Amino acid sequence: MGADTITRTNRVTALAPWLLVLPATMAVFALLAVPVGSTLAESFSNPLGVFENYRRFFASDYNRMVVLRSFWIAFATTAIALAAGFFAAYLIAGSGPRTKRILILLSVFPLLTGVVVRSFGWMVILGRNGILNNALIELGLINAPLSLLFNQGAVLVGMVYLFLPLMILSLVGVLETIDQDLYSAAESLGSSPFGVFRQVTFPLALPGMVVGSILVFTGSLATFVTPRLLGGERQMTLATLLHEKAIISFDWEAANTIATIMIVLTALSLVALGMLAKRLSPKGRA
Amino acid sequence: MPSAAFLTRIAALALLSATAFTAHAQDRQLVISDWGYSNEFLIPNLFEPFEQEHDVKIVLETGNAPDRLNRLRIRGGVDLIYLTDVFSQQGIDSESFAPIDPALLSNFDDLYEPAKNPQGDYGPAVTFGQYGIIYDTAKVDETITSWEDLWRPEFSRAIAMPGFNTTSGPLTVLMAAKRVGVDAFQDPDAAFASMAELEPNILKTYNSGSELTNLFTTGEVYIGLVQDFAFPAIKAAIPTVEWAEVSEGNFRMMNTLNIAARSENVELAHAFIDWQLSQKAQKDGAVALRTGPVNKAVELSDEEAAQVIYGEEQVMGLQSSPYRDLLDNRADWETRWNAIFGQ
Repeated sequence: MGADTITRTNRVTALAPWLLVLPATMAVFALLAVPVGSTLAESFSNPLGVFENYRRFFASDYNRMVVLRSFWIAFATTAIALAAGFFAAYLIAGSGPRTKRILILLSVFPLLTGVVVRSFGWMVILGRNGILNNALIELGLINAPLSLLFNQGAVLVGMVYLFLPLMILSLVGVLETIDQDLYSAAESLGSSPFGVFRQVTFPLALPGMVVGSILVFTGSLATFVTPRLLGGERQMTLATLLHEKAIISFDWEAANTIATIMIVLTALSLVALGMLAKRLSPKGRA
Repeated sequence: MPSAAFLTRIAALALLSATAFTAHAQDRQLVISDWGYSNEFLIPNLFEPFEQEHDVKIVLETGNAPDRLNRLRIRGGVDLIYLTDVFSQQGIDSESFAPIDPALLSNFDDLYEPAKNPQGDYGPAVTFGQYGIIYDTAKVDETITSWEDLWRPEFSRAIAMPGFNTTSGPLTVLMAAKRVGVDAFQDPDAAFASMAELEPNILKTYNSGSELTNLFTTGEVYIGLVQDFAFPAIKAAIPTVEWAEVSEGNFRMMNTLNIAARSENVELAHAFIDWQLSQKAQKDGAVALRTGPVNKAVELSDEEAAQVIYGEEQVMGLQSSPYRDLLDNRADWETRWNAIFGQ
């Protein structure tokens, strides 16, 4: 083999990884970057001014309320999922291998069905003739069925149910890796159970909490089916408003503007959560 | 080496593009845009006979109205489009349609007056429908005889009505205005104050017929404001559901058929509109799809007629929808509506 051939082979070898990722990169560029880019560009293309679409959007009390509501629902969903998920994950992480496998399977089970089915399930449970109302009537606790659907409570229940598995999985991952000896050490040094939680479990679980919160928060901010089915027009969020503008009222300018606002808000939330995590984590403080 | 599956896929793709090419190569082609809901019936009964008669290939493009209208406007390549009147007015406003020449339509003179030129020189109405009140007679003691009955206190959270951005949603505002003796366009403050009084009775605003069917079948509501195309499914699930015969009359809804401004088959498109207006097509639609015929010459049996808007008296007895004014006031009304129903 001559030196020439070797150089050529080397060059091909050096190029190979790039060539291999090229098709996927092209696909991402063509199918993601270009459409998202044109959505962003379109929202700034009002002849009356670059930010005219945004001025118009935020001039409306209703739209501002929808933005705040979307944030509030995403925040509440994350907080509830974090609290509920932490206990579940703690229990799972601390159980034997067999029980652990069963519990994990049970907690991810909802992920096996589609989001529409899961939201419909809640309609069956919370409906006027639903399981919950019927049970309450059977037990004699109420006389007439309660109106449990199409309010914020229903949306939150549906969203927490939707995202809880993601939170649990993120938390189990980190809780499992905490060395049991740390607990023993803390206890033997006289720390109370709360002290152990505050000084050992919480700081070490923080990365998982942040990852879980990011997944749940951004997911809740963008989710469309659950607020649409369980909340309706009364519980309009940015995602359902975007759908309404694009598909029902034919106002693509507004739809592009909302899409851009959602992208920016999600990105800002990611940065904010990242900064928060950095401040809270033991390494960040050190 | 490429796998067998990969090669099969390539072969399938090649075949697919070859067929697409043949379809392209055919001389005459008419692209028709419709909702797609009833094409199972329409293809063998309406489209295929036209293809044979005129030696043309009909290509269907389906989807929801805004999507289809946008495709026609931006991308082109569509000859004819079926829309509800509100959407066809938007198409006209954006200069997306070509005017119609009634001289090319042999069935034009047989149409009911409201169907002839519902939107100026543009497409005629091809079906009539109605927007009114349906309710479960088993759950309502005192019959509903007026739109004003919707405000009765005993109907708290019992009603579903279409959302603002649907074709029929804003019509409810007109009845709210009538209830307090004002014109909704002259005095929107009073009209929406009346809507606010209705709010406690509205459980949910809906955007599609299937959504309303769900609300009825799950017992969430027992009164619905509805366009007639959604009625059969609800009636099938709950046999005690009936139309309320309201003293003010229901609203007349229309679907129109328009020719795209960019169509290069204007003459053939006229022929298709004429075909759609013919007695046979109109009767088929009335019997199989329960769309109200726009052709006066169509004869239906009593049983068939009971399912649709039919006959001079019924057609003329319906209130017409002032979609022109509705479109002009949409932004203002939407803000007012959201302040009441979006909280």
